[in-house]
Amino acid sequence: MNRKITALVLSLLMLVSVLASCGGKEEGVSGDVEKIKIYVPTSAKTDDMDKVMEKVNEITREKIGVEVEFKAFQFGQWFQQYSLFLSGTEDVDILANYGGYLNAVAQGAAYDLTDLINEYGKDIVAMEGDYLKSGQVDGHQYAIPIYASYAWNMGLLYRRDVVEELGLEDMVANVKNLEDWGAVLDAVKAAKPEMTPFVSNSGSTAYTFQYGSWDDLGNNYGVLMDGGKTSEVVNLFATDEYKHLCEVMHDWYVKGYSSKDIQTQTDSFTVLTQNDAAFSTLGQTDFNTPFYQTTSCGKPIDIVMLGGGVPVARTYNNVTFTVMSNTKHAEACMKFLNLWFSDVDVGNLISYGIEGEHYVLNADGMGEYPEGQDANSCAYHLGTSISNTNRIRWCTEDPDYAEKLIESNNNAQKSAGLGFAFDPSPVTNEITALDNICTRYQTGLECGSMDPAVELPNFLKALEDAGIDKVIAEKQAQLDKFLGK
Amino acid sequence: MTTATKTPVKPGKPAKVKNPNKKSLGRRLLKCWPFYIMALPAIVYFIINNYIPMSGLILAFEHYTVSGGIFGSKKVGLDNFKFLFSSPDAWIMMRNTLLYNVAFIILGTVLSILTAYLLHELKSNMSRKVYQTVILFPGLLSVIIVSYLANALLAGDTGFINMHILRPLGLEPISFYSEKKWWPFILTFVHFWQMTGTNCILYLANMSAIDPGLYEAASLDGASRWKCLTKITVPCLIPTIITMTILQVGKIFNSDFGLFYQVPMNSGAILDVTQTIDTYVYRGLMNTANMGMSAAACFYQSIVGFCLVMITNAIVRRVSSENAMF
Repeated sequence: MNRKITALVLSLLMLVSVLASCGGKEEGVSGDVEKIKIYVPTSAKTDDMDKVMEKVNEITREKIGVEVEFKAFQFGQWFQQYSLFLSGTEDVDILANYGGYLNAVAQGAAYDLTDLINEYGKDIVAMEGDYLKSGQVDGHQYAIPIYASYAWNMGLLYRRDVVEELGLEDMVANVKNLEDWGAVLDAVKAAKPEMTPFVSNSGSTAYTFQYGSWDDLGNNYGVLMDGGKTSEVVNLFATDEYKHLCEVMHDWYVKGYSSKDIQTQTDSFTVLTQNDAAFSTLGQTDFNTPFYQTTSCGKPIDIVMLGGGVPVARTYNNVTFTVMSNTKHAEACMKFLNLWFSDVDVGNLISYGIEGEHYVLNADGMGEYPEGQDANSCAYHLGTSISNTNRIRWCTEDPDYAEKLIESNNNAQKSAGLGFAFDPSPVTNEITALDNICTRYQTGLECGSMDPAVELPNFLKALEDAGIDKVIAEKQAQLDKFLGK
Repeated sequence: MTTATKTPVKPGKPAKVKNPNKKSLGRRLLKCWPFYIMALPAIVYFIINNYIPMSGLILAFEHYTVSGGIFGSKKVGLDNFKFLFSSPDAWIMMRNTLLYNVAFIILGTVLSILTAYLLHELKSNMSRKVYQTVILFPGLLSVIIVSYLANALLAGDTGFINMHILRPLGLEPISFYSEKKWWPFILTFVHFWQMTGTNCILYLANMSAIDPGLYEAASLDGASRWKCLTKITVPCLIPTIITMTILQVGKIFNSDFGLFYQVPMNSGAILDVTQTIDTYVYRGLMNTANMGMSAAACFYQSIVGFCLVMITNAIVRRVSSENAMF
């Protein structure tokens, strides 16, 4: 008898789950309102998404006749599924792109927004100016970059309190080049044996010189040296500068300034500093880095910008939005992006949720979590990393961030390759091989665990065999064509 | 269920002689319809899950774009396959994939049978269960955890081997993650540490199915344990060994991605001995997300695997036809 009941229950369950999975999605144009879907990554909670979107839609329905639905993914999941989103099998209209939009363009997943942006994206055009180019390929606008910090350079990030405690301020003030930093590391190593003087920035997942002073033009195979002062594409790995940087890192590794396990380090600088385990690292630095890092590490962080201390504006933009090429609502998408980029109410709602419920304004007019809530308990806080400047500042931000950002972007040295987007499709086979070779050598060389005197020539030889010269020639040809326009 | 449908048409050696039971398809359907109804869900499942998606193989021959879709994108012939062979590293990854798999198949069979035999010989039921669980447990761990367990042993500054074995003995520490000579052994060890428990289950089950009378008769005749193992146990297991080997040979161009990517912690210096076809494809295409090239790589692996299965089976059929799979 029991068995029969179990069987019955099981088969009912199966039936229910089959029916549930058949449950259709309501494709919807209700009345004149167009519905669009947006996928974004986040690191915070978005449980109250529906509630917030209702408020957003009240505004968007009235202003542009569009309803939006956001779907937020945790960052880890996002990076695993991003390729899948690009393949066009999901029911999504706008996609956030982290780390470039060129793959989306290469796969034909990005809608050509050139005409639409002039018609419906006037606020975006006015805000971005020249920097709108970092969403273009061949003069076509495929992506909308957020108005982020475009001007930066490679620099050293370090614990200011440790420097002050050991009285090293003068020494730090005199640091001009990477090798000058060795003396500081030596002093820290002697005084603080429990703290690793130098660690890699984001663990072994990114290369140490990822934010080097050169313009990498989309990938490292062919770069413009000196922040793009000339338009001659050269092989980065064969330059004296690169060799010198690797030698310094190896020197530090041998002297024990960095850990013997630096090559397989899995924690980021932020995590290590939070636990007082690291003193300094190399990374991307701009006007806001000390402020931002101090907040995220919870320890006073300061920077020494290398490359002559001059921030350079270049091709790269980390965060852009693309409209899927198979969308049926391209116009609505453009209208919505324009509204999001320009309307403070929409910006605040999307980033922080509903005022009074998910955030409150403090005495300085900045946002903060309501009493009794924090990042772990607040039911909605999409965060600021994918948003623009058109919102109130969060309490952990620099109050003058927006003004400083515009100033920094306007005054930066601009790379000759600014706005250039490399199309890798003619050399895909070479790039696949090169990516594999870089896995083998680049991490080891750049974190110092490989001796450049021995391994750098092997690296160069391997790159040559894999056809780096062909890629560089292709890049140069595309760049010349871009500049000739 | 599928075997039920296969039985009436199983081809034997004297297939030339007209089978008196053979009737037209319609008659057979009519006669055995309940069996076909029983098999229907499985047949439908295989068609939907295994056969319809095969049309996606066309991806390997085209430059996939979202607007073109799976069937409408530009056809590029064999271009997508080039990256697998044009690279100077191509033969290294194929060599690694092949050699590791050959080692895993041969050593794996020996180890599994040995473990199964030892477990089988245990008299106490209780201890057999305890040992089996202990051996099986690593197989249930996620490979990420395994990679950190390995890291805890191998790390340069903090690893157990360096800190607590080599240093007290006054020996130079070894930086495992940059010396490639250790990795063929480490990877093989980790693989068997994880998989032996799972792999020996099948052999263990087969051993308990062997008629105990055979052993009794042998021991009456004065056969030693070793004799019993080599003359009774192993011969009885031959069909299982052959089936398992043919199945594994079919996957000889595939590798356990987790083992070869996670356990070496993506360390570049040891790629010469840890790179396999799967990790090469992953590293090369992660940044470009090229559907066509990924599909081409899988297609290539499957074709080679398919051919090898056919060849192995043909060889087995020649040597001892009753043990061949088909």
